[in-house]
Amino acid sequence: MSALEIVGLRAGYGGEPVLTGIDLSVADGEICGLIGSNGAGKSTLLRAVLDLGVDFEGSIMIHGCEGRGMPPMERARLVSYLPQNFNPCSRLTVGETVLLGRFPYRSNWSTDSERDLEIAERSMRECDIWELRDRVFTNLSGGEKRLVLLAAALAQEPRLLLLDEPGSSLDFRHQLNMWLLLRRLSSKGIGILVSTHEVAMAGRFLDRVLVLSEGRTAAFGTPSETFTPDILSEAFGVQLTVTRDAEAGSWSIIPEIRT
Amino acid sequence: MEHHPGDQNMSSSNKMVRRPGAQFWVLMLAAIAIASVISLMVGPLSDPPGWVIFRLRLPRLVLSLLTGGSLAVSGCVLQSLLRNDLATPYTLGISAGAGLAAGSLIVAGIAVPVLGMVAAGTAGALIAVGAVYAISVAAGRRDTGSTLLLAGVTVNLVGASFLLLMEYFTDANRIMEIIRWMMGDMAVVGWAKPVFLLVPWAAGMLLVLRRTGVLNQIAQGDDLAATRGVAVRRERNILLAAAAILAGATVGVAGPVGFVGLIVPHSMRRLAGADYRYLVPASALGGMLLMVVADSISRVVISPAELPIGIVMSMVGGPFFLMLLLKKGRRRKH
Repeated sequence: MSALEIVGLRAGYGGEPVLTGIDLSVADGEICGLIGSNGAGKSTLLRAVLDLGVDFEGSIMIHGCEGRGMPPMERARLVSYLPQNFNPCSRLTVGETVLLGRFPYRSNWSTDSERDLEIAERSMRECDIWELRDRVFTNLSGGEKRLVLLAAALAQEPRLLLLDEPGSSLDFRHQLNMWLLLRRLSSKGIGILVSTHEVAMAGRFLDRVLVLSEGRTAAFGTPSETFTPDILSEAFGVQLTVTRDAEAGSWSIIPEIRT
Repeated sequence: MEHHPGDQNMSSSNKMVRRPGAQFWVLMLAAIAIASVISLMVGPLSDPPGWVIFRLRLPRLVLSLLTGGSLAVSGCVLQSLLRNDLATPYTLGISAGAGLAAGSLIVAGIAVPVLGMVAAGTAGALIAVGAVYAISVAAGRRDTGSTLLLAGVTVNLVGASFLLLMEYFTDANRIMEIIRWMMGDMAVVGWAKPVFLLVPWAAGMLLVLRRTGVLNQIAQGDDLAATRGVAVRRERNILLAAAAILAGATVGVAGPVGFVGLIVPHSMRRLAGADYRYLVPASALGGMLLMVVADSISRVVISPAELPIGIVMSMVGGPFFLMLLLKKGRRRKH
């Protein structure tokens, strides 16, 4: 089954369309990338799936269920989200913050069950932050905070995971770890849709890529199909040299500087 | 079971989840009971003791308990909604609105019974919160927390300047009456005030206590809360209304007593952790304790006269809060 199936999406804010004519499907266990210049509509697409204040026409099916009008609790048990910007105000520990991801499975007021604690521990171990569990969230570094919120997103036991530029503000090692982690998660059957600017790095890990250009689909396919100088140069509005080391499976994408 | 020295208040198997243990709740209740007994005993007995205790001190004790609990819980709620640990029930213009309403009655020279004054103060507080909310909706920005905060500060300032304007054009006796009201007043004769407060108090508390998990989510940010299944707009409106009812009715009855909504949640975060499921009930108890103690102090320092509770609270609360801030700052440096 598809974790996400989008057909003929037209989406925007207050009647002004940001995206038009978007078709996209993310299969279970697949990592799909969203790339494109700033303002191309990557975040809007993610927010439409999450029903975060985006008006849209067209169809969004989440794990076989109609996304439009889906009750928030039901959606929260299917999809979870790692936002690009976050600024929680609380003195909660890392463990308590991850446990907040169990909210959709709880009644209005209830303590954390054994199962909640187990799943939170598993999520923290997956994200390699178990050692941080008793630290106060607000005292962590930016990269650590991102991993904690990712663990909270996993504690929601999603079928579909949406990430908005998860690698931003991470150094090379942490970026690589993040992508390896996403690969491990997808191998467990979670569908992943991730917007990113680390195009070359992502090329090694993505199954498919949707290239957005000014709110339209510039290309949709595997990295090999979509990472061509023409497509990427048009999408980013700058001349790019694209080379692939087939042996290492790595990409390098370098803007040309005209003087 | 790991044991962490200096952390006796947290009784959980690891520090990943901090929640107050049974002894915390027992200690809090015991402290409130002891403070209540002392409060019933202190002060001069010029009239028959039975009358003084049952018609003056007991209703006053109940009023203190209700007032302290509601101000502290209201503070907790606003700190989550506004995502700011320094928010208080008065950040949203509640004291300004109540002050304006009560002040207008005094200036107009309309003689109203005690409960009329209470109702006017409550209505003024709710109107102020309504105005703040309307402004923040009209501004229509995505981050409602900071918009509400800005609108609240503005309404507070405008309200305060209107009150000053009224005082400027009023004769001295009535100005004194307004000023006295703004200092807070716990004096009661009979049960009318506490009984009047009990209804909005219970309603507000019930609404908040059912939503402590939601408070945790909203403090994380609107987007995260929404993607975890919280109907953010609806829940925020309910919580805002509950906080306004709690603080508004309290201010109407007892005047704008400051600091409780700030100090109590702040201290309880240290003792009971930051999880609102435990922080809200802990703050309710902490607020009760603080208010009963402050009220007892206000009755004994210049006995047989009494100090306004607002002054006592500021004089006790201000330095206490400063101490907390300095201690925290020093710990950070190490």
